[in-house]
Amino acid sequence: MNVALAAAMPLAPLAAALVGFLLRSRRSAAALAITATSAALLAAVILALRFDKPVSDGYRAADFVDLTVEFGVRVNGPTTLMALAVGAVALAVQVYSVTYLRDDDRYAPYAAQVSLFTAAMMTVVVASDLVQLLIGWEVMGICSYLLIGHDRRLPEAPRAAVKAFLVTRVGDVGFLLGIAVLGYHAGTFRIDDVLAHDYTGAQLTAACLLLLAGVAGKSAQFPLHTWLPDAMAGPTPISALIHAATMVAAGVYVVTQLFPLFAQAPAALTVLAVMAAITMLLGALAAMAQADIKRVLAWSTVSQLGYMTGALAVKAPGTAMFHLLTHAAFKALLFLAAGAVIHAVGSNLISVTGGLRRSMPATFAATTIGLAALAGLPPFSGFWSKEAILAAAMDEGTGPGWLVYVAGAATVALTGWYATSLWLQVFLGRPRSPAADHAHEPGPAMRYPVLLLAVPAALLGFAGLAGGFVDRLGPGAEEVGHLSAALVVPLGLALAGAAVAWVMWRRGRAADVPARALLADAFHLDAVQAAVVSRPVSALAGAVRRADETAVDGAVLGTGAAALRSGTVLAGAHRAALPRAAGAALGGALLLGLAAILLEWVR
Amino acid sequence: MRIDHVALLPGYAAATTAVLVLVLDLLFPGRRGVVLAGAAVGAAATAALAFGLALSGDEARFAFCGSACSFTVDGRAAALMGVFALVTLGVLGLSATTRAPMGEHCFLLACSMTGGVVLAGAADLITLIVALETLTLPLYVLVGLRRTLVSADAAVTFLVVSVVATAVSLLGAGLLYASTGAVHFGQMNAAAKDPSLRPLAVVGCVLLLGGLGFKVAAVPLHAWAPPTYDGAPLPVAAYLSTASKLGGVVALVYVSVEAVPFEHDVAVAALVVLALLTMTVGNLVALRQRRMVRLLAWSSIAQAGYILAALAVPDGGATALTYAVFFVALELAAFAAVVALRTPAPVEADARVLVPAGGAPAVPAAPARAPQVIDDGGTLADYAGAARGAPWRSAALVLALAGLAGLPPGIAGLFAKVAVVRSLVDSDATWLAVIVALNAVVGLAYYVRAGAGLFAPAEPGTPVRWPRPHWTIAVTTALIALVALAIGFAPQIVFDAAAAR
Amino acid sequence: MNAVLVAVLVIPALGALASVVIRSDRAGRVAGTVAAALSLVAAALLAVDRAPATGDRLSPWHQVDVAWVPAVQLRFHVGVDGVSYPLVVLTALLTLLCCLYSLWQVPGERNGRQLVALLLVVEVGIVGVFLALDLILFFVFFELVLLPMYAIIAGWGGPERRAAARKFVLYTLFGSVILLVGLLVVVTGANTADLVTLTESSTLGANAQRIAFVLLAVGFAVKSPLWPLHTWLPDAHTEAPTVGSVILAGVLLKMGTYGLLRIGVGVAPDGARWASPVLAGLAVAAILVGGLVCLAQTELKRLIAYSSVGHMGFVLLGIATLTTTGFQAALIGNLAHGVITGLLFFLAGAIKDRAHTGDLGQLGGLRETAPVLAGLLGFAAIASLGLPGLAGFWGEAFAVVAAVQRGWPVAAVLAALGGALAAAYFLRLLRRATHGPAAPAVVGLSPLHRFELAAWAPLVLLAIALGLVPALALTPSAHPVRGLTAVTHAD
Repeated sequence: MNVALAAAMPLAPLAAALVGFLLRSRRSAAALAITATSAALLAAVILALRFDKPVSDGYRAADFVDLTVEFGVRVNGPTTLMALAVGAVALAVQVYSVTYLRDDDRYAPYAAQVSLFTAAMMTVVVASDLVQLLIGWEVMGICSYLLIGHDRRLPEAPRAAVKAFLVTRVGDVGFLLGIAVLGYHAGTFRIDDVLAHDYTGAQLTAACLLLLAGVAGKSAQFPLHTWLPDAMAGPTPISALIHAATMVAAGVYVVTQLFPLFAQAPAALTVLAVMAAITMLLGALAAMAQADIKRVLAWSTVSQLGYMTGALAVKAPGTAMFHLLTHAAFKALLFLAAGAVIHAVGSNLISVTGGLRRSMPATFAATTIGLAALAGLPPFSGFWSKEAILAAAMDEGTGPGWLVYVAGAATVALTGWYATSLWLQVFLGRPRSPAADHAHEPGPAMRYPVLLLAVPAALLGFAGLAGGFVDRLGPGAEEVGHLSAALVVPLGLALAGAAVAWVMWRRGRAADVPARALLADAFHLDAVQAAVVSRPVSALAGAVRRADETAVDGAVLGTGAAALRSGTVLAGAHRAALPRAAGAALGGALLLGLAAILLEWVR
Repeated sequence: MRIDHVALLPGYAAATTAVLVLVLDLLFPGRRGVVLAGAAVGAAATAALAFGLALSGDEARFAFCGSACSFTVDGRAAALMGVFALVTLGVLGLSATTRAPMGEHCFLLACSMTGGVVLAGAADLITLIVALETLTLPLYVLVGLRRTLVSADAAVTFLVVSVVATAVSLLGAGLLYASTGAVHFGQMNAAAKDPSLRPLAVVGCVLLLGGLGFKVAAVPLHAWAPPTYDGAPLPVAAYLSTASKLGGVVALVYVSVEAVPFEHDVAVAALVVLALLTMTVGNLVALRQRRMVRLLAWSSIAQAGYILAALAVPDGGATALTYAVFFVALELAAFAAVVALRTPAPVEADARVLVPAGGAPAVPAAPARAPQVIDDGGTLADYAGAARGAPWRSAALVLALAGLAGLPPGIAGLFAKVAVVRSLVDSDATWLAVIVALNAVVGLAYYVRAGAGLFAPAEPGTPVRWPRPHWTIAVTTALIALVALAIGFAPQIVFDAAAAR
Repeated sequence: MNAVLVAVLVIPALGALASVVIRSDRAGRVAGTVAAALSLVAAALLAVDRAPATGDRLSPWHQVDVAWVPAVQLRFHVGVDGVSYPLVVLTALLTLLCCLYSLWQVPGERNGRQLVALLLVVEVGIVGVFLALDLILFFVFFELVLLPMYAIIAGWGGPERRAAARKFVLYTLFGSVILLVGLLVVVTGANTADLVTLTESSTLGANAQRIAFVLLAVGFAVKSPLWPLHTWLPDAHTEAPTVGSVILAGVLLKMGTYGLLRIGVGVAPDGARWASPVLAGLAVAAILVGGLVCLAQTELKRLIAYSSVGHMGFVLLGIATLTTTGFQAALIGNLAHGVITGLLFFLAGAIKDRAHTGDLGQLGGLRETAPVLAGLLGFAAIASLGLPGLAGFWGEAFAVVAAVQRGWPVAAVLAALGGALAAAYFLRLLRRATHGPAAPAVVGLSPLHRFELAAWAPLVLLAIALGLVPALALTPSAHPVRGLTAVTHAD
């Protein structure tokens, strides 16, 4: 029964997607998508309620004789929670999109793509086999590509879409190789068997580092984070679903599922810690300098993902899972709310908003909760999960632990700053544009998802006090729900950051951050990437093409030409008049005779 | 002197044919058809007798036997006699519209056929050379019979060069006799014992092979072939490139495999050199030919190269003969198709329909030129539009060219190639096999060019009428094409015949 | 069932004959199409009542064995097993689709029945290659394909068709004559041409095996094609008519990879082991070169052609590893490439016929003017870049896995990077061709014809089916593949 439920979660949206691509009418498309997503969510809920013990089941899908691939489901605590989150956010987004894309003639394929994404994400969640997981993993990527490129009015959209897919695909090269190493040594790709198999240290380190490349790509970790901010070219609901709540968290989720392997690969964890520290700081710093609401949120996503990987690096996957869930709630909330704002003022720019408190009270309330959670203010969800991570890092005590702790603490302050600053600039003060003046709340289909998401964003933290929930987070969740005196440090930092933001805002200098250009461009890492990877590759490509056409093909054509030329020469030699022909003949004969004689005497 | 006249039956039949033709020509002056029919009947009878001989019993028959026999007819020889007769029959079938006086034409062909038949049975050097000359001599005249300057020139070239060739091979034969004291194939082997005479024998052997090389137009003894083929009337060119070439191959096989095995290492050296030169030069020069017959001529030189390659390996004789037979069939088919395609437009060609420049529907044009005289192969460009105008004849030509290139649908050619490469690989001459293979690639280049020419759109101003050929030509072409196709599906017959002793 | 085995070869041949003999062009095309359909049915029927798999390394489901030319040890020995069956069906299917397509459209409306006839002859040759269990017979069929394909390109192709066709026929003949020598080295060495016997117990000496394998590998490499022997392919593809490209990429190339696996590895396993590192190196080179050239490519069909070079690189890499994983990956990769690239060429043809240009610079915004076409192109491109869940994934991913298995990490990494390159150039293609504002060339395109959709739909479905149910292709070949690796005793 549980197996059937788990199987239903990806299959329902998949069916909807396959059918949806053939639909044209928006009404039926919407109905189909929402029904299927609700079904998936329902299955997730029932599964969460019924879940008692981990189960795993599947069938052999591909037979490579000495390696086999299984398609199946594998349910454990984190699975149920992740499935709930995905289902809930997906449903919220589907509903929200009906209104948000009201006047878009390509809504039908859009809805189908979202369904396909949901199916893929669910596959990743319940996959019982690494290859099956990889399938969901990359299908998510392609959906993200398709959806980022959805908006035909944005000239940068196609580029952003390609970038998003390619950067993650580069990471996935590592992911595939990692899976190959694990599967080859274990003789199977079944996750349970892989976890059971005992590898040598070297194998594990290699495999885990390779997997991390894929994780870094999907979860936008430094240095493969560059695609996420650009991905904001996609429709806002997509940013909420894919680029905040679910897909980008998939990397973290996969590591929690495979954590027993990582736990035995300290080197990999150290790398992860460094990656996490850099990522969270980088994200927060960049978020401070953005002029575009969605880009602020995008960078904050990068930074928050840093927290999660940080938690993994300090061997607290359960905690990471907890932050993943709370983040999913408040970040989805923030994006959908931001969508409402953008919808109202018709622009992404912070500078054209202001004073929306009065005109959009509901959105204001929701955003306030979301930002408070993001900044980690009690009692909102983000506070609990972030505290747990920092506490875990402190307990870890080793170098990586401290690295994560220090970076985490610093990031708390920065987060407090930019969250507050955004809040003040958008909702308080007086409208800074006519559009902001005439802003108004969106329709119910957009309003209710926001309000509903506000509930977990506010209260999910308290779930940490419920034992059953904590157990489901998986191992390393000890810190969840335990508050210690140490929490004053980050809390103080957060408030300090907020205070600074408030002061600057009062002075009307909210926007001018030190080294703004540098931060806004996230330390020019894009340019670096272009210079180090993109341009050399395309230069190489050009060179190879020329070489292939001139050298390789040239050799072929040259041979042909040579044959023709020698033919011409020989033919010329044969335009002989009679006597020469006869002479040649006789000469040839004598030549042969002589040759024979010589040959004879040589021997 | 023991003589088994049964063994000589095909020879008698061939000779009788020649006489019969003369008589008919006297009795029915100007009745081309009758003469042609007579010759054809004679050739057919010869072929029938020969094949009958081939199928009757498997023990060989002998004639002119002293200490050893000068004339041996085993299964292979009989089959070869049949092939000679059949080729002659085919050429006769293509001769219906030749401009040459029919009497002479048929008589000379019959004489040449007689030479071929006897050659197949030759068992000593003298018979061999005499028969070969009987096969060749009439051709000098045949080539010239067209009574044009070109053909005269060609005839003289051919004559002079062949005389040189004969001289060389006679010299070689003489030296061999001098050094071995024997002329019978069987005995020369045993007779050569005196080491002091060895060099003499070697030179003789090589000169003899060289002389025979002329007949198959092996490089560097090939220069005569292209101008001669191109100058000769088409049916004669067909005969030259098939029957007379087959004669050369037969002689080479007999000499190199039976007569002088004791010098085989030297023979091999000579043959390998000849083979390499022949196939390479033949193919390369063929690449540049614009005239159909010259292209076929050069290609047949290249093909001779493959045959020589086969001869260069121990017991490659059977392979060489097999290849030669497949080649003869395909080459004859090619020439037949050319003859059929090059049928002259009827003389009352005033209302000839021309391909309009604009590609608009064809309109009758004024008789711009005099009705053109076609009695040579023409250029490749002359065949443009044939595929549309004369699909079946074009199909036959394509089949033949594909076969010569060694590709399906001309499977016969494919098996020929396989056989040669196989015998080379089998005797560890893989390197030679690779060279043969690569030459086949060069070969395809021009066969494809010739074949594609048929499908090219006819350029404006040329006659679009592809007049029906004389019925005998049509029938003959069809039959030859069918044979060429058929032996592709039942090649084992040829393999068996070539191996039968 | 053996009758069916022969029917698969005879029906298309008769169909070709019919469509030539029939006077009316339309009727000729229809007759040919019917024959193609029948041969597909026959091919599909081959799967029923199979002979039970014996312990033999090569145990055909059905076989026919008749002496033909003892002199060259040629027997008419044909049979089908799990390795050849999917390819046979694919060949029959693609031929049928091409005939259907030709019912609707023939380039320049130049006598379509002849085109159909040639397609059917090509089918006979290719199916024969897959069915042949006798080396010489294999070669006969291998050669049978050459001239008809030449005629298809030269007769119905684009502006530069003559040169391209010429290059194709000469280059591939070069390959097959080398192949012939290789085959004969085997045949004369083992004194039999029977594939079953040869794979059962290879009596060839180590040295002979090396010579044989090198010659065979070169021969098949030209056909596959393997870098650096690939340069005939882009020209041929660019100039060939749509159906020509489809057959060429879809199944004709597979004769090379199939031959390399079945004959090269099958009869000269030691030679294969000896040469496999070089083969793998070239395969990786092909993957990377193919990808990079595509990245710098500006012509639609040329790009797809070069992508084929890359994809076949993966297939050859799989074979080179000499592991069951590699072989299985190669086999399913073959099929996937046939389906997906076939589809890609159909679509490219449809675009070029409508927009009258294949220059990516002049295309663009296709999804604005022809959403369905753009969507299909997107699907095909995504499938071709090896997206998991679609057909292309299994072959490429598991070629990489196989390389890891064989202990070639560098090859694995480079190949995987090649996979990333594939994504790069296909997304570049989509961005240039389908996204952005509509270019003048793609404005007012004629709508898709039902014959086109009919020809494409099966390929789309197959691409999905093979992706989600790879067992379709992998299960039948599992037994024979186990046999093959038993010969090469790799690892």
